[in-house]
Amino acid sequence: MKLYEFTQAPNPRRVRIFLAEKGINVPTEQVNLASADNRKPEFVKRNPMGTLPVLELDDGTNLAESVAICRYFEELQPEPNLLGRDAKERAVIEMWQRRMELEVLMMTAGSFRNTSDFFKGRIPQVKEYGEICKNAAIKRLEWLNTELANREFIAGNRYTIADITGLVGIDFGRTTQIRIQPEQTNLQRWYNAVSSRPSAKA
Amino acid sequence: MKIYDATLAPNPRRLRIFVAEKGLNIPNEQVDIFAGKNRTPEFLKKNPAGGLPVLELDDGTCIAESVAIARYLEALNPEPNLFGRNPREQADIEMWSRRMELSLFGPIGRAFQNTNPMFATRIKQFQDYGAAQLETAKRQLEWLDGQLASKEFIAGSRYTMADIHALTAIIFGQQTLDLRLDPALKNLTRWHQSVSGRPSAKA
Repeated sequence: MKLYEFTQAPNPRRVRIFLAEKGINVPTEQVNLASADNRKPEFVKRNPMGTLPVLELDDGTNLAESVAICRYFEELQPEPNLLGRDAKERAVIEMWQRRMELEVLMMTAGSFRNTSDFFKGRIPQVKEYGEICKNAAIKRLEWLNTELANREFIAGNRYTIADITGLVGIDFGRTTQIRIQPEQTNLQRWYNAVSSRPSAKA
Repeated sequence: MKIYDATLAPNPRRLRIFVAEKGLNIPNEQVDIFAGKNRTPEFLKKNPAGGLPVLELDDGTCIAESVAIARYLEALNPEPNLFGRNPREQADIEMWSRRMELSLFGPIGRAFQNTNPMFATRIKQFQDYGAAQLETAKRQLEWLDGQLASKEFIAGSRYTMADIHALTAIIFGQQTLDLRLDPALKNLTRWHQSVSGRPSAKA
């Protein structure tokens, strides 16, 4: 098994944190996004969409999409549990995981993609749209702060994959100066808790 | 239990197709999204993000996010199976589902939001960006045609949730963006006829 990834990219980080929480050790290989190695034929054979991370399984086949990879590992090793233990818990955790993806990570990513120098020339950038993404992300952090007033973690009272997505999404916001505000005390409390876990350094 | 639904919207549609495939009969309440009834304080209590669909359980718990709801219903009603029967199958189906969401569903949704008059007062629209997103979706359909040369359905040899995401995206594109499937894309056309011909496609 091998995980193809890139240290600075957000989606690979989600899998790295997940694996660290599980205590699972998978060899990794860097694919250099800066030199667009993910768009070269050798990698595209592995993942036709050209994205990271990709998990190469022992039988030589490849599995892409960070959450699909996480789910696969959870099936192989259910504890510590990160996706939920029964149908209702799984649904609530998935709901929150998707909200973190759609409302936080996609917005901080949209801000980065459309305004950063890294993506200049790689994709058609729409700076104004990037600003809208940034403002949406900022509003979402306000909302998240309110939600975290009545519970410890994003999906409930224990740490789950939703916290991983939230952490990675918020950290990625730093690339375009999206920050937790001093008055967002619930969000800051949560952030301190999840970012001080050893897995956050993965 | 009850599903809060809106006939024309794509996310409720993917859940309706799923529910139809499962042969489930779940009471359904329409929420008038044109009149913004999904943004009232009353509805926001059910889903603070204001989106549809929402599944309200008998104990009052509300589950939002179409895929979370579908996966929950599959846990209660495992057959016919749509999310996968073992870890590898589940991972593969999820991978393809996400590919369909990211490459088709997302771009078509953004094309709609940025070009359709309905959203002119709801968001700041970028017509060029919307047009570019539609082109992205069309390129992805060409790519999908290639992928479907070697298999009958999107995630493999049987119909799964991945097919539902793609079909729903295409229906929404056809209804709102005049998206047309190029008949020269023979594998895509074959697949589309197959999934559209299932009774669930009319849900």
